[in-house]
Amino acid sequence: MTLIATRPDSGVARPYSFPTIHRTSVGGGQVIAAHLPGALLATASLLLDAGATRETTGREGTATVLAKCLEEGTAARDSAGFALALEGLGAELSTSLDWDAFRVGVSVPVDLLPAAVALLAEAARTPKLDPADVLRVRDDEVTSLRMEWAQPGPRADAALRADLFGAGERYGRPLHGDPASVAAVTADDVTEFHSSWLTRPGVLLVAGDLDRLDLAELGAAAFAGAAGEPLVAAGPLDVPIRDNRRVILVDRPGSVQSTLRLGHRAPHRANPDYVPIWLAATVLGGAFTSRLNHLIREVKGYTYGIRADFAMTRRFGRFGVSTSVQTAVTVPALTDTVGEIARLRLDGVLADELEVARTWRAGQLTVDMQTPGAIAGALATLVLHGLPDDYYATLRQELLDATIEQVSAAAAKHLHPKGLTVVIEGDAALVRDELVAANLGEIVAAEL
Amino acid sequence: MGAVTSPSAPVTTTGYPWPIETSRLPNGLRVVVSEDHSAPVVAVNLWYDVGSRHEPEGQTGFAHLFEHLMFEGSQHVGKTEHMRLVQGSGGSLNATTNPDRTNYFETLPVEHLELALWLEADRMGALVPALTQETLDNQREVVKNERRQRYDNVPYGDAWLRLLPLLYPPGHPYHHATIGSMADLNAAGLATFQAFHQRYYAPNNAVLTVVGDVSPDEVFALAAKYFGMIEPVADIPPAPTGRLTGPATEPVRETVTGNVPAARIYLSHRTHPFGTAGYDATTVLATVLGSGRGSRLYQRLADGSRIAQPDYIGAYGVDLAHAPAPLIITATVKDGVAVETLEAGVAEVVASLTTEPVTDEELGRAKALLTTSWWRQMSTVAGRADALSRYATQFGEPSAAAYRLPGWLAVTAEDIAEVATQTLQPTSRVTLTYLPQSESEPTA
Repeated sequence: MTLIATRPDSGVARPYSFPTIHRTSVGGGQVIAAHLPGALLATASLLLDAGATRETTGREGTATVLAKCLEEGTAARDSAGFALALEGLGAELSTSLDWDAFRVGVSVPVDLLPAAVALLAEAARTPKLDPADVLRVRDDEVTSLRMEWAQPGPRADAALRADLFGAGERYGRPLHGDPASVAAVTADDVTEFHSSWLTRPGVLLVAGDLDRLDLAELGAAAFAGAAGEPLVAAGPLDVPIRDNRRVILVDRPGSVQSTLRLGHRAPHRANPDYVPIWLAATVLGGAFTSRLNHLIREVKGYTYGIRADFAMTRRFGRFGVSTSVQTAVTVPALTDTVGEIARLRLDGVLADELEVARTWRAGQLTVDMQTPGAIAGALATLVLHGLPDDYYATLRQELLDATIEQVSAAAAKHLHPKGLTVVIEGDAALVRDELVAANLGEIVAAEL
Repeated sequence: MGAVTSPSAPVTTTGYPWPIETSRLPNGLRVVVSEDHSAPVVAVNLWYDVGSRHEPEGQTGFAHLFEHLMFEGSQHVGKTEHMRLVQGSGGSLNATTNPDRTNYFETLPVEHLELALWLEADRMGALVPALTQETLDNQREVVKNERRQRYDNVPYGDAWLRLLPLLYPPGHPYHHATIGSMADLNAAGLATFQAFHQRYYAPNNAVLTVVGDVSPDEVFALAAKYFGMIEPVADIPPAPTGRLTGPATEPVRETVTGNVPAARIYLSHRTHPFGTAGYDATTVLATVLGSGRGSRLYQRLADGSRIAQPDYIGAYGVDLAHAPAPLIITATVKDGVAVETLEAGVAEVVASLTTEPVTDEELGRAKALLTTSWWRQMSTVAGRADALSRYATQFGEPSAAAYRLPGWLAVTAEDIAEVATQTLQPTSRVTLTYLPQSESEPTA
């Protein structure tokens, strides 16, 4: 038996194009749709300028409670009636909240989309919000968060976020709040959040076979009864970076792993270095073959996985590394991780690893955008960041054209190994002495 | 715009409305191709008919650890090169192991199809020359970390690990979990893994499926070019039989007191093997019972009596084909509710499936949800490729994938009552209960 020893060359790249985009204005709102001929499923998503940053300080989690209340009955029917109507179409309401937006969506076989959008709008625009229901949902959410916070991760994430953005700022608090802030949410908070931010038309994103869909009909359903002008977006925040590393120890007695989070602040999404920053992060920790995963998983065997990324929103960004390692190797894993960040900043990227990063990210645009849900998500990015219809074609080319110099310069400019906040959530009694001895930075207690 | 009417889902006669072409190489490798030119992507998917059900006692976790080794280089592919080449072509890749089988898959821009086939052929035909003690030691540590991260360090994370030995008797291929035990993983020697590859990673024990912007003739020719010279393996040992003599006859219970935030119960039963009419009925039953806000469990215990946390209640089948597959029902207490109350409530809802016929509305809801979930899996070339590999491996015919959705849609209320009566009796129930450690007790 002789296998073929030489790696085959790639064939001729076939052209990829993002689906054709259609825009329609209906009753004060906008419908933005992508045409997917022959797709059996279709997705609609109502994008509202009602992100977590609209929440009141101390009541973080209000929007999350509201999202769950949307299915607790509407002006037209009770919660059981709503569930049966929606699920009878094969749809489930997907609500999602991030720093920039509140989204309510449905995915169904294409011919059922008009009926599903009508129900989506009924929930988003006219939820019953009976105070007793709201308080019950809030209490359930508190319990649910407690469950989640019993897992490793959320406390470490919260400690990092508070340290980077300030515990007094909305950005410095967890996206969905914490058990205490959600417990403080009142029925009025929820009703007010709805009337303030969910009653403007917003944008309806549609991905599906447009030959079988009437966008005007979908828009009319989504925007019925909505009123008000679009909100003006606030400008980006500054990017302060500390002079010294900080180490925050979050105790989790008995933990068999240490959950690690390292990070610092970074620019917002619309900054001009977006593409080279993304590629630098890919080389560092965005792919399986990245430097961090290679060293910490494949060479050292410390972890099941490690990743680094820049998370960027309309107003701010943050660089972050996250992993879980077995307790005994906590300090060596941290030292290696900080070392890799410093090395990338100092020496930049190499030709072969950049080549992988470029073609991977460009290829992923094709591979990832197959489903109506993924296409609707891509449309949301266009709307949120004011990007043109040909953005994905342009992005693909920018990724492929990025040079070693550009990406190395982005790493040098936007990575700050000496300004990192390092969070360790693990068995403090087992790791503290070694952490002190390693002298990674000033050790501060977690304010949790 | 018109008023909302009550549209009904279109009549579905096939769950796979795309072309399927199959071929078999002389060495036994089955090749399945499904053309779709709507995007310039291709999914390559291989199912090897080996899973943790093949593992003898003392070698638990080996099939899965082996899956990791398949990414660490082969005769013509350097260590870590596999990942670098696929990602460097814009591809996504992964692999999974379960009790039944091991699958490997990648989706790439279509111009890299040949690369994917070359990589898969090299690790099918010649992994052993590249397998070193160093690689084994490193991946053993990675897998042990995977076990810590996914099972040991997470509240309730070991539920599946505890349920299997309660559901299936010692010696049964599903008795142990795929992740394996730390002790067995520590004892794993290089020679065992070399033998494992030689025994199971054979062309006649695999199905290769390619879905996307390709033509069948092109794929068949490439499959012959890259896989054709790999020798078949004679006498591949079968897994121990999964035959069981009907449902369990004695209830079993296990209670775990530990570091969990609230009491939770898992009720589980053996039902029917995946792929049978009985399991189709079980799938629809699970959806009626525990999927979505309109399900009986949600309506009665989360929304109705409000004794269960709404985010943590549900029921699902685990799609295993070589023995009666488990149905798992889970619920978590709301603050102040006794776990006994919750268990009684769940048991009552389960019993209602035998005593209160499922209504047309409940049945329609479940079928609509299953329809959407089916088309969601079919909406990517990778999802389609995995389904075709599954049906070719487990039922000998990839086009059998088309029957699953119609099979679900044909289930009647009587079928559900019958399955419930047969398989969900308290006498055959496995009950796993997690209780929080009281504050006064020391933590382990």
